[in-house]
Amino acid sequence: MKDRIIKTILILIGVLFTFLMLILPLAIVLFYALREGVVMFFSAITEPFAVAALNLTLLSTGITLVVNTVFGMFAAWTITKYRFRGKQVLTALIDIPFSISTVIAGLAFIAVFGRIGWANPITEALNIRIVFAVPGVVLTAIFVTFPFVSRELIPMMQAQGNEEEEAAALMGAKGFYIFRKITLPKMKWGLLYGVILTTARAMGEFGAAAVVSGRLRGRTNTLPLHIEMLFNEFQLTAAFAVSSILVMISVIILILRHVVEHRMKQEEG
Amino acid sequence: MYVELKNINKQFGDFQASRHVSFTIERGQLIGLLGPSGSGKTTILRMIAGLETPDSGDIFIDGVRVNDIPAAKRGIGFVFQSYALFRYMSVFDNIAFGLKVQKKEQAFIQARVTELIKLIGLEGMEKRRPHQLSGGQRQRVAFARALAPNPHLLLLDEPFAAIDAKVRKELRAWLRETITKVGITSIFVTHDQEEAVEVADEIIITHQGQIEQKGTPIDIYRNPKTPFAAKFVGESTEISAYHQLPGFEQVDGFDRAVIRPEFVRMTKVAKEIYPHASGRGVIEDIFFRGNALEVRVDLSGEKITAYQQLDDDAFEVGEEVSVLIHRLYLSNEQEVRMVENLAINHVGSVFI
Repeated sequence: MKDRIIKTILILIGVLFTFLMLILPLAIVLFYALREGVVMFFSAITEPFAVAALNLTLLSTGITLVVNTVFGMFAAWTITKYRFRGKQVLTALIDIPFSISTVIAGLAFIAVFGRIGWANPITEALNIRIVFAVPGVVLTAIFVTFPFVSRELIPMMQAQGNEEEEAAALMGAKGFYIFRKITLPKMKWGLLYGVILTTARAMGEFGAAAVVSGRLRGRTNTLPLHIEMLFNEFQLTAAFAVSSILVMISVIILILRHVVEHRMKQEEG
Repeated sequence: MYVELKNINKQFGDFQASRHVSFTIERGQLIGLLGPSGSGKTTILRMIAGLETPDSGDIFIDGVRVNDIPAAKRGIGFVFQSYALFRYMSVFDNIAFGLKVQKKEQAFIQARVTELIKLIGLEGMEKRRPHQLSGGQRQRVAFARALAPNPHLLLLDEPFAAIDAKVRKELRAWLRETITKVGITSIFVTHDQEEAVEVADEIIITHQGQIEQKGTPIDIYRNPKTPFAAKFVGESTEISAYHQLPGFEQVDGFDRAVIRPEFVRMTKVAKEIYPHASGRGVIEDIFFRGNALEVRVDLSGEKITAYQQLDDDAFEVGEEVSVLIHRLYLSNEQEVRMVENLAINHVGSVFI
């Protein structure tokens, strides 16, 4: 009896908290976005600066995905397959972006590639602009989401071991054939999960982008930066309308994430 | 000889996994590499397969030195401890993998895999994934997969470790029968002496990276060459004050003794036959072992294990009995010697 009361109270607190802190605010975003009618909503999200911001966000997310997926797979492969000195250190270093504020990451990029940075003469000579330009935005997005894929893969690959690969190699299979036929199918769900997390994180990235991009409207402004600008200019409806795009993408990612999680559990069983 | 290891050494960091390992194996034999965990048996297997490289020494298979031949070219079938079946492939594709890699014709692959599936008795399960099979079935698939490309040497790493006890017995008999039928030279690794004794033609005992003894199960059981072999194969009790046992004397250079349960005979005190050769013990515990009783008896402070047939005199815990030990393995750090109970012969000659 006492147990049941405690159980009910705990569930109630959990539901209430989730509703107040998570669902209500998101619902209000949609509510405000549509407050002044569908016409206003569409004009806000089709406005050129909003479209440019969306495009930049998609571009940087896309590049980040490709780079970090490839890197994450290599890192996970190296760390799980080989024994070498400093492996623990490398594993810890990969996690740096998890523990450092993204603003600091942005500042670090400025310190390296900005006018005062030591890499500035090189980039100037090559005629590349990184800070206050699109490459800076992309680089910071890559930095911030660096660990997601490898973090997802390393424990999974460690649990699976590489006996299957050894077995295949013993029967004469070559490296890439083994990777395609055995390793890739084994890691596919973990990889997809890491990719989804990377996407979610890259799309929402704010701190580092705010520092590095210079927030040039229509040029280096990402979607989250654009939203904050609109908000600061008291264009509340527009800010919420553009936010609703990000919210919808997040919901889709959330659903995908659960589907993948479910499939992962099934395949393991 | 078919497989030969010559003075193999292998070190992992500070851990010496193999020390001066040398042995030979004849063609068609089924060999058990037996030893406790960490004794280096799996390392030996993996070096033969080419999955590890020895630091020094030579490995010959069929007269050819294979040290520099890559694993895939050695013509070896390997069954992993956890089977390492390809989890995203069906039973059929698992068995066919080696043949596909060798680019065999489709019709040949079909015929060979069908033949192997029949051999392992899994007809109708070709399309199943490994996780839909029982432990024993998985092991059979791993076995068939290793055999598919027609290797001339089959290596099995702890083939029964992941299977529950009931199925294990059945599978042992099956594996032995099937290997004999296929006629392939095979080496399997195990830490279970019962398994080694039951399955292998010959056993190689490993201990701390060294080979302790090689021989038929019966030979090792009857004539253990090292103290470790004496203790590791067969049930045994080790005692130090063996000269206090009736009928045995202190022998120079041997400071302890190993008693096998079958060296011990217990009778009711009233039925004692050799009073000079026997001592009095107190029954401490009786365990029912299915087809016999395992009895722990306290013989002046030494706890000794013995067997009692079910139709022999029944004892009770706490009862005083006559204990006759008719044989001992004396041992020291290096060697083992078998001695008989002197008082039995002595009394015997008086009777005649």
